[in-house]
Amino acid sequence: MFYRESGDFKTSYIQDQQIFPILQDRVFVTVIIAFAFLVVPFLINDYWEKSVLLPVLIWSLAAIGLNILTGYCGQVSLGTGGFMAVGAYASYKFTTAFPELNLFIVVLLSGGVTAMVGILFGLPSLRIKGFYLAVATLASQFFLVWLFNKVPWFYNYSASGQINAPERLIAGIAVTGPNAPPWATYLFCLVFVVVFALVAKNLTRGRFGRSWMAIRDMDIAAEIIGVAPLKAKLSAFSISSFYIGIAGALFFLVYLGAVEPTEAFGIDKSFLVLFMIIIGGLGSILGSFIGAAFMFLMPVLIKNILVNGLGWSPDIVAHLILMIVGGLIMFFLIVEPHGLAQLWRVTKEKLRLWPFPH
Amino acid sequence: MQDTVKEDDILLEVRNISLSFGGVRALENISFDIRKGEVRAIIGPNGAGKSSMLNVINGFYHPQEGEIWFDGKRRHHMKPHQVAKLGIARTFQNIALFKGMSTLDNLMTGRYIKMRANLFSQMVWVGPAQREEVEHRQRVEEIIDFLKIQSIRKTPVGKLPYGMQKRVELGRALAAESKLLLLDEPMAGMNLEEKEDMCRFVLDVNEQFGTTIALIEHDMGVVMDISNRVVVLDYGKKLADGSPDEVRNNEKVIDAYLGVSHD
Repeated sequence: MFYRESGDFKTSYIQDQQIFPILQDRVFVTVIIAFAFLVVPFLINDYWEKSVLLPVLIWSLAAIGLNILTGYCGQVSLGTGGFMAVGAYASYKFTTAFPELNLFIVVLLSGGVTAMVGILFGLPSLRIKGFYLAVATLASQFFLVWLFNKVPWFYNYSASGQINAPERLIAGIAVTGPNAPPWATYLFCLVFVVVFALVAKNLTRGRFGRSWMAIRDMDIAAEIIGVAPLKAKLSAFSISSFYIGIAGALFFLVYLGAVEPTEAFGIDKSFLVLFMIIIGGLGSILGSFIGAAFMFLMPVLIKNILVNGLGWSPDIVAHLILMIVGGLIMFFLIVEPHGLAQLWRVTKEKLRLWPFPH
Repeated sequence: MQDTVKEDDILLEVRNISLSFGGVRALENISFDIRKGEVRAIIGPNGAGKSSMLNVINGFYHPQEGEIWFDGKRRHHMKPHQVAKLGIARTFQNIALFKGMSTLDNLMTGRYIKMRANLFSQMVWVGPAQREEVEHRQRVEEIIDFLKIQSIRKTPVGKLPYGMQKRVELGRALAAESKLLLLDEPMAGMNLEEKEDMCRFVLDVNEQFGTTIALIEHDMGVVMDISNRVVVLDYGKKLADGSPDEVRNNEKVIDAYLGVSHD
């Protein structure tokens, strides 16, 4: 009734091409972003920061990254964990080598390093497709984690083999390390997520995004139109890795603080992000957010209800969560293969006509 | 059909092209030319090598022997996306649209080689990227009007009926504003009405935009009506080349199409 587009006429192509063509969507998103920036920092506490907001933001960023590669360009990758590790170790090396360097720049540089590594491991995609490519990227996952375990230079020869995020200040406020206030770490991540979600949307609706989707949908026709497969695939690999690298850097610097590569960036992380985009919706930026929130918060929610609410023992619940999440993944794949984002789109279509659908 | 096609104004010429896959000779010593502004038909029975010929022109296949001259210059070993930049667009026998994208996006993708915005301006969007997007949108809208597909502008092409998909594919090829348009069986599988529409579009493209067209088609009525000159292939060899009337009365062509008893 209130959600509709009748009377909302577009009189220019600029209006027609905006990200949210429907007025209500624009208002809604503006309110959410304003709430996230202006209200949440005053309400946030340690629990919400560490258990909900930070991980959801960081995983969203990783999911956007993988969605660019898999959802938009159609190249399946199982190397996400490895690329996150590259981002984490690059940020560690940068910030320990140049302690004065602003943390924003450190994170961006780490993304840049990961982008280069991504191009390198994207090279096989020019020859192989589909499942075979997935196996090839699996190699990058194992190789990179092995590398960071094996070569002491990456962890500055520390005895434990771990890397620890040193305390770094931005404008006099700690953003990393144990003394960082929750609102500071939250805002730091939020800035990255909001800015780069917008950038991802801009890239995917323009020339680059169309060249990726052309390669995904019909690579022969893409070539006939003038899209060079080399350029399209490698640009998707590099930009995707850039996002995943930033996510890895934030994951290490701000969220975990200390990292041991096998545990933090194992193959399970690659699958987690892949599930996020499949459940959220391939080829959708919004879907990346929904998928990340769903995959991360669903276990938290189930745990809260069963352990804290009903008093079940935590180890039984831990197993139950695996079964429930697995079941939900199968359910969604069968019922809605295009993910939650598609479900949302269908709901919107229905809402436009509600309550008089005829 | 343009009456102003000049005899010596050659856009594309293939000389002595031979192509084989292993032991199979797909094309043997084929030569013909396409003049600027004409509608050139390539016909022949199934397996004659027509699509192979288009694939050679496109750069998908690389002939073992022979030369390709385009726009007065000899073309060397080129990949399909480089050929596209020269100004050769094409449609496919089996529809090869980008199924996940809308009609509008398919046509916009067709303008890929015309767009210049770099990565950074794409990321920022506001500014050069947006200006370019609007500018190309206007051109695409002209094509949408021309093909009368306004109503399906935002429909994902996977949901469109077959005839419409063929039309969108023609639109995508037109969007590139190429010098030479290759149409691989543009009317295959269409009913009479759709065929008539498509013929009209092909002729209009030829006349209004001055685009040179080479098409493969099985419907002889269509071929004889809309093409200026016809080249006939059979078993990878050239059987005949000339005006529709010459080809129609050619003994070898009749044999190849109707079959003869060898007595």
